[in-house]
Amino acid sequence: MKIGSEQVRHVARLAELAVSDDEFPRLVEQMGRIVEYVAQLDELPAGPERSAFLAGPESVRLREDEVRPTPLARTPAQMAPEFVDGLFVVPRLGAMEEA
Amino acid sequence: MSWETVIGLEVHVQLLTRTKMFCGCPNRFGAEPNTLVCPVCLGLPGALPVPNAHAIRLAARAALALGCTVHGRSVFARKNYFYPDLPKGYQISQFDRPLATGGHVDLDSPERGRISVGITRLHVEEDAGKSIHDRIPGRTAIDLNRAGTPLAEIVSEPELRSPAEARAYLTVLKQILLYTGVSDCNMEEGSLRVDANISIRPEGATALGTKTEVKNMNSFGNVERALEAERQRQIALVEAGGRIEQVTMLFNAGSGEVRPMRSKEESHDYRYFPDPDLPPLVLTPQWIVEQQTALPELPDAKRDRLQREYGLPVYDAKVLCSERPLADYFEAVVRAGAEPKAAANWIMGEALAGYNETAVFAVEPARLAALIELVKEGTVSHQAAKRVYPELAGNGDSPKAVAERLGLIQVADTDALGRWVDEVLTAHPSEVARFKAGEAKLMGFFVGQVMRKSQGKADPKGVQPVLQERLSK
Amino acid sequence: MSAVAHIARAVNAGRTSALSAAHEAARLLRKADADGLNATLHWSEDLLRGEAARVDAHVGAGHAMLPLAGVPVAIKDNIVTTEQPTTCGSRILEGYVSPFNATAIERLRAAGAMVAAKSNLDEFAMGSSTEHSAFGRVRNPIDHERVPGGSSGGSAALVAAGVVPAALGSETGGSVRQPASFCGVVGVKPSYGRVSRFGLVAFGSSLDCISVFGERVDDAARVLAAISGHDPHDATTADRPPLELDGPRRDLRGLIFGLPKEYFPADLDPGVRAGVERTIGAIRDLGGSVKDVTLPHSKYAVPTYYIIAPAEAAANLARYDGVRYGVRRVGPEGDVRALYRATRGQGFGAEVRRRILIGTYVLSSGYYEAYYGKAQQVRAAIARDFQLAFTAQGADFLLTPTTPTPAFRAGEKTDDPVAMYLADIFVCAVSLAGLPAMSLPVGRSAGLPVGAQIIAPMFEEARMLGVASALEAVVPAAGEVR
Repeated sequence: MKIGSEQVRHVARLAELAVSDDEFPRLVEQMGRIVEYVAQLDELPAGPERSAFLAGPESVRLREDEVRPTPLARTPAQMAPEFVDGLFVVPRLGAMEEA
Repeated sequence: MSWETVIGLEVHVQLLTRTKMFCGCPNRFGAEPNTLVCPVCLGLPGALPVPNAHAIRLAARAALALGCTVHGRSVFARKNYFYPDLPKGYQISQFDRPLATGGHVDLDSPERGRISVGITRLHVEEDAGKSIHDRIPGRTAIDLNRAGTPLAEIVSEPELRSPAEARAYLTVLKQILLYTGVSDCNMEEGSLRVDANISIRPEGATALGTKTEVKNMNSFGNVERALEAERQRQIALVEAGGRIEQVTMLFNAGSGEVRPMRSKEESHDYRYFPDPDLPPLVLTPQWIVEQQTALPELPDAKRDRLQREYGLPVYDAKVLCSERPLADYFEAVVRAGAEPKAAANWIMGEALAGYNETAVFAVEPARLAALIELVKEGTVSHQAAKRVYPELAGNGDSPKAVAERLGLIQVADTDALGRWVDEVLTAHPSEVARFKAGEAKLMGFFVGQVMRKSQGKADPKGVQPVLQERLSK
Repeated sequence: MSAVAHIARAVNAGRTSALSAAHEAARLLRKADADGLNATLHWSEDLLRGEAARVDAHVGAGHAMLPLAGVPVAIKDNIVTTEQPTTCGSRILEGYVSPFNATAIERLRAAGAMVAAKSNLDEFAMGSSTEHSAFGRVRNPIDHERVPGGSSGGSAALVAAGVVPAALGSETGGSVRQPASFCGVVGVKPSYGRVSRFGLVAFGSSLDCISVFGERVDDAARVLAAISGHDPHDATTADRPPLELDGPRRDLRGLIFGLPKEYFPADLDPGVRAGVERTIGAIRDLGGSVKDVTLPHSKYAVPTYYIIAPAEAAANLARYDGVRYGVRRVGPEGDVRALYRATRGQGFGAEVRRRILIGTYVLSSGYYEAYYGKAQQVRAAIARDFQLAFTAQGADFLLTPTTPTPAFRAGEKTDDPVAMYLADIFVCAVSLAGLPAMSLPVGRSAGLPVGAQIIAPMFEEARMLGVASALEAVVPAAGEVR
């Protein structure tokens, strides 16, 4: 499977990554190389879905419903690039507008 | 052309846990912004999620109450998208292996009688934070207190056929969820949210039309209004030769209109995959049975039982079962000795008005039962009892003591009654003569006069025999 | 006696203070900086003194002995600490100071160790040479023109240069074993779930393991034991208590070491081959034996890894958006989307951006089944290969080269991403299977270190470390292999 520049643009949009026009051709070429390389897995037949690998314990350990937050040595105000009246602040939504 | 409407609803409810879904922060509404946060729900580098056992328990109970199959193995998945109030850039949810599938909600459709609407699935996920758009001009402010709150998402099959039916479904769904105590289902506070999918098709067609999504409805009434508006819009569009586009419509409560979202978003590609930070959720059959057993009696079953056990009419049973505390109160009053129909009447009348306002019952079951007993024995008239009732709030006095204090004890003593009767008969000699001459309906007049003379204290049941006896002399 | 054991014993006994160990560490750190290793991103004498004061107070108060008392440990800068920044070698986290400590850090401190420095790494642990740090490459102490390996190159270099006796790194696809081999030190990757990931900045969540470098096996083993064990903050940790080390091992009688034929290609670097053969000789001398085994899906390990790791990374790095912490840049349109795209586009380096894009691609609609879905199945097949090697094929451990060549020159592989990926060819499969493994320095080839890899069955770190220390005693790490 090859990857074209439209696909690279689409994926960059999904990943919210700006790619400058000069970097773009090189990036498409490198991504093409990588995609071609990993497509070796096509050589193997597909198996049933349940045969997927599971790292870690077989089942998740649940936590008791007790108030026990991890303490913060630094507050949101101290970490945030922009913080007003106790709130994180970002530019207007613009193209991301939702309800 | 006759159009059929097809509606499916996605309801999100916040679960009543002490802590958030994946961290030990308090799950509380109304705190100072960004104070109920920690590395996990802030999405800080290096933080990891650990699921809340009680959230799973509540979600499983909700699923069982809705007749779903709770699966022994379900998987948490990452739903990837960017939004300022989504700290990790993904939401931990469930995708192709949800907690539960295959339930139903039975309800009375305003148009079609009794129907059963399928529930496709119920799964657990975490809530996002809150974006506040109008606080600072030209900017969006974000409060992450809500980020990480446990949610159950309940998806219905597209089996609703009208906006009114959608509203009825929501009413019953909320009732069931309140009964099970999994959420407080408060749309104003955001603990219950509704998104709708709606399409139209020619009457009799089987293929589904293109659907639109409708959002931003903040009450069940507005869900109905919004869907009605969108239905009209779709019909008008198609009848004018246009085609429905798969867009998201936002409801405006002020205008009652729906409009498409401004952004021409390509539909989201959420790139779901199993969350590698969370092994599968495994629930034993035994545990699932325990949750089923822990379920309270549900509304339909309680309604049937109230009718059977107490001989209540359907209407009364429905009203009393509309909320579990009402039904519990009713049964407590009956257990304290009151006759069921009388108890039902009093609760649907006096008690309900107060409960709707304050969410508590002003009078404990034992004292309401005692009051009802006083009326039954004739110690006070029904009218008088209604004056006693409000006086019972805020103190521990017995109804009898209050009635006495207010001078409302009915007099049934024949001597006293006889005295009043004599006074009345003496005062109305011509009516007496007319009665003795055959105008039997004057009995009502005499009873009324005795009641007036006694200032309402005479026991009406005792007055008539005394009058009869005196007038027959 | 290993350096770690020596320091701890002296400090516990009151023969020396943690403070003097701190001064010595500071002196060595200054020298490493002066030598231009560029292995550290943050360290300060003040912070070191603070660490030492805590240990000395504990010892002075006569409390229980601390297994790592006064031991200075370098920490890869993708493990969060509250006292100094954690940058992950990236501009996007420049100046970011975490408000919480990683569990591994808390356990190190509880054992009496001192955080000596945060060490340089490939950006977000993505790389095999530490040439992809936003803060400059790290030089291999043995030969400054060569890379120390990656992504944990800074930690490896600090141990190799004798600045600290032990260091923490992290592995996703071999990022501790490979640099250990290039730098001539011991590198140990525990079983997945043995050490808590709480506080390790996530890259490939189903693969990531905090791992340990040591001058010698015993140094690494003691540090690993101190940080291991179940953590309620990490749902992927195994339900096991901290690692208990076996006593030292004198011989390898009765033990069978499998040699997977796929790891000994005909064109294997002769120096590397000689190093492994010397190790095989030592195994026999110590009473063990070797046999051929096969891991048939080996060739698919690197491509499988380069689907799974980037996919998980793409999601894990979505949180770096300039909203709540870190660096923020806003693009020309001035809206939130412009904020994301500029912050991320400019804050992430080229390798990180490539991996995010590949990861996003393999998860995207229409491609999931063919790539990610398939890769997880192949991964299961790779894990089964190892299982069979340890059961049906009768091996107690596996022995392989750690890397296909000794350390390569800086700049040699940066043009072709796939060429860089192939540096992980012998370490990658182990990560996919979640197994414990380690690299032991087994000699030099024209002066460059050569490492041999020992792979153990799941949760058998203690036996593996015992075996490695037996071999370490008889295989001269600094001697030429031919």
